[in-house]
Amino acid sequence: MENMFIPAMERSPEVDFRFEENRLSLRGEAYPEDAAAFFGPLLRQLSAYCETIHGQELHVEFQLDYFNTSSAKALMNMIQILETAVRHGARVSLRWCFQKDDDVMREFGEDFSTELEHVQFQLVEI
Amino acid sequence: MLASDHHRMKLESNQQGIIFSFNGFISEGILFALGDALKKKMSQDETNICTMKRVFSVFVEQAQNIIRYSAETLAKAGQEVNRISSGVLTVGSEDGRFFVVCGNVMLREEAIPLQARLEKIRNLDQAGIKAYYLEKIKDVSDPASMGASLGLIEIARRASEPIQYDFLDIDDLNTFYCMKVFI
Repeated sequence: MENMFIPAMERSPEVDFRFEENRLSLRGEAYPEDAAAFFGPLLRQLSAYCETIHGQELHVEFQLDYFNTSSAKALMNMIQILETAVRHGARVSLRWCFQKDDDVMREFGEDFSTELEHVQFQLVEI
Repeated sequence: MLASDHHRMKLESNQQGIIFSFNGFISEGILFALGDALKKKMSQDETNICTMKRVFSVFVEQAQNIIRYSAETLAKAGQEVNRISSGVLTVGSEDGRFFVVCGNVMLREEAIPLQARLEKIRNLDQAGIKAYYLEKIKDVSDPASMGASLGLIEIARRASEPIQYDFLDIDDLNTFYCMKVFI
């Protein structure tokens, strides 16, 4: 599957999905004007990719400074897709990075981790 | 007259601790520009990073609620992008705490379920709000709401005291809805 790179914009994060290396990352702020238009293609690509990675190891990193509630729904959706990938035989780790003193993003990390049963989750202060 | 009227308005705003007050049609572009000014102002004032994020989050959710749910909107049915809608949006500080106020006209029949949602959220403690947030973020059964419930819960989560809200019937069809949140 072809890699996917979208540079960070004023209100959307950098998307760096290196499918060939099994490394995916999102970095920056997320409150796009149209969350469905921004995240829809990412979710579709991620789902399609996750069906192809049986037995492989996938590393995902989220380093987000802010996201609105429409984006939060999309992120939760991504996490559910990752969880399904594990059930289908992949090994998946998710690093949730937050800036020192950013209690809001740390707490979001904790919230999202409660949804994870099989994905290996790491909360990382940077 | 022109200068004295507007100077008086400005002084009144300043005395109320208002950072900015917007009244009129708001677009996603205006949301971004006001949010940018708000971040810069808070940053200049060396506001704590968590407070900044909480204020910004409440501001974004309230502004998006005006854009999406104000009855005074210039958008064709089904057209969600490039929507502009009328409302009031004020950010300020009072006794050392930030506040964000939003208001807009809405249909009276839509105000009834909103009031019920607000009442429910207002009666939850912080742990209850967090649990409700997690429940709603996973809820994909309600695509018509564009995530409004989650937005209100997010606002309550960032508030330092229960959210204040009020409704004023302005004619047979419409209600003016208003919310004030202290962070």
